[in-house]
Amino acid sequence: MSKIVYVHTGGVNTPERSATPIYLATTAAAMDVEVGIYFTVNGPTLLKKGVPESLIVPKYDGQGAPLRRFIDQALDMGVKFYVCQPSLDLHGLTKDDLIDEVEMIGGAAFNDMALEADQVICF
Amino acid sequence: MTDVPTVDVTLDAKGLLCPMPIVKLAKAVKEMEPSQVILLEATDPGAVPDVAAWAKNTGNPVLHQETVDRVMRFWIQKS
Repeated sequence: MSKIVYVHTGGVNTPERSATPIYLATTAAAMDVEVGIYFTVNGPTLLKKGVPESLIVPKYDGQGAPLRRFIDQALDMGVKFYVCQPSLDLHGLTKDDLIDEVEMIGGAAFNDMALEADQVICF
Repeated sequence: MTDVPTVDVTLDAKGLLCPMPIVKLAKAVKEMEPSQVILLEATDPGAVPDVAAWAKNTGNPVLHQETVDRVMRFWIQKS
């Protein structure tokens, strides 16, 4: 099975960048690709409890959808969500502040994941 | 006109945008038996290259496809 890792660095201050890596990951999972998204830099702010429900992914006509919809689609297709500890510290967050579906990994595990993957795609 | 394959399952994805047609297709095909055929109807402008890419990567062949007005139809066999 092919593997892709998406690296998501966009946070709550750039809602227009929040959903794209997630729905590309969802599409990859639908193509029988093993997919993980590594949330780092500002990415973990998207996964703080309550944020996915309140953050609206903008659309030109004002009819944007909450980020939760994209996250649920991804989880439903088997996409794995990873977060690294230092990027939590950057925002004063702990694992308990995040939605439950997130797995914590460190830098070594991320690099190993990148070496094992067929492609790493950064946002 | 080529023979249109017999359909076991029909999936109406008209009006849905990327990535939902492909996500719904993948879910529907998971529920099917090998060699069954699904008819996917879509209006997403990216559907033709998307279905081709999905089929190539999952190994489920597109037996037949046609576009009438803006509706694209794909007959896909579960491998």
